[in-house]
Amino acid sequence: MKFRFFVLWAAVLIPLGWGVMKTLQNALKLFN
Amino acid sequence: MSSSFLDRENTIAPPGYNRFLFPPAALAVHLCIGQAYAFSTFNLPLTKLLGVTHSTPVDWKLTDVGWTFSIAIVLLGLSAAVFGTWVERVGPRKSMFTSALCFGSGFIISAVGIHFHEIWLLYLGYGVLGGCGLGIGYISPVSTLIKWFPDRPGMATGMAIMGFGGGALIAAPLSILLMDHFKSPTSTGVLETFVTMGVIYFMFMMIGVLSARVPAEDWKPAGWVESEHRRPLVTNANVTVDMAWRTPQFWLLWGVLCMNVTAGIGVLGQASPMIQEIFSGKVTPSAAAGFVGLLSLFNMGGRIIWASASDYLGRRYTYMVFFLLGIALYSLVPWFGHLGSRALFVAAFAVILSMYGGGFATIPAYLRDMFGTMNVGAIHGRLLTAWSVAGVLGPVLVNYIRQFQIDHGVPKAQAYSITMYIMCALLLVGFLCNFAMRPVDDKFHYRALGPAPVPAK
Repeated sequence: MKFRFFVLWAAVLIPLGWGVMKTLQNALKLFN
Repeated sequence: MSSSFLDRENTIAPPGYNRFLFPPAALAVHLCIGQAYAFSTFNLPLTKLLGVTHSTPVDWKLTDVGWTFSIAIVLLGLSAAVFGTWVERVGPRKSMFTSALCFGSGFIISAVGIHFHEIWLLYLGYGVLGGCGLGIGYISPVSTLIKWFPDRPGMATGMAIMGFGGGALIAAPLSILLMDHFKSPTSTGVLETFVTMGVIYFMFMMIGVLSARVPAEDWKPAGWVESEHRRPLVTNANVTVDMAWRTPQFWLLWGVLCMNVTAGIGVLGQASPMIQEIFSGKVTPSAAAGFVGLLSLFNMGGRIIWASASDYLGRRYTYMVFFLLGIALYSLVPWFGHLGSRALFVAAFAVILSMYGGGFATIPAYLRDMFGTMNVGAIHGRLLTAWSVAGVLGPVLVNYIRQFQIDHGVPKAQAYSITMYIMCALLLVGFLCNFAMRPVDDKFHYRALGPAPVPAK
């Protein structure tokens, strides 16, 4: 159950984290 | 009739099941269908399918391509309203699978349309089929989340609906990455990108399908006791979907959602040209894209933060904050523009967009408070028609009022001021709808005379 919990959350949070990082990189241009 | 792996009765969680395994299943679906917000990344490439480097007279026009997104959003609302009762009856696994099939195959049919350069196939694929995938996928986990988290319904639905906002943050860079990878001197790479995204999204949504579980009928969180003394606008009773939309409360909530979305969606669609025109010469197109990205982040963050806060503030007070703070910020925005303060301007819109997202994420819990848990998913589906209306009304208001002012000699930098005041008026209407909210009359409550009701087919 713990393994499934970790895998499932990782599966959704990793792509989301990647998207947030890419968006933040883009957003920083607003203040440059 | 034989039962299948997808049927509700085969998805009932065993005792001891960790309820925090369901939110990632819901997120897997919402992160995919949230791609819709990033469809605009395909707009320009779709107008250069034949010319590749430039748009030729025989290429599709931007206005023609733009209809694809509008059709998808209208179908989102319609399919959520029409299939809401079915989703409630068959449970999350079968509805998530149907959504994955519709959304994935929508991309594939669109790719066929791109190959033959037939725009009606794009409308049919991404617009109609994809739109149905959006609507069914959007509501499929909502009622199950509320049943898994009766103690924190706002936080639970906020987590899933946050995924819809986050989907665009993934889809925009992913689409650009794939188009760059597939493009060649003879192709924009859009066709291959559509096929790849259709397959990726279908597979990712299957994570949700495979891990979806519903709680047993008598399940309650360990140690949680349903309070006898609920807040004034939280009911212990249930209202069926067919009865709910005969109540004034349903239409007041419809007005609340419609006004909140209209005020946000128009700005979201025009954010890039708006900041460039208001701060003419000081904001580059690339910085404006950063502004759009920042708004998307706040749109996503607002969904989980405001929806979780509503569990403590109460739904009515949360929307009071949305409307009153929204009115204050929209009325200050023209002044921030005159001051030339980019920081205040960006901060104001960041908060406004967080409340736009928060409005979406808090509404399922508000429905549960007013109508109970029995048919909340189906009622939510019908309420989403407000989104379809707002999806047309918001952009039309912002675009046409801006153009009308420019045509009458108002400088571009000041052409948005009237729009902001109109947004204040819309939010005031939403505030009044929310202010008028009262508990649902007893005569609409469901009274159990036989077995538990299942929404009509």
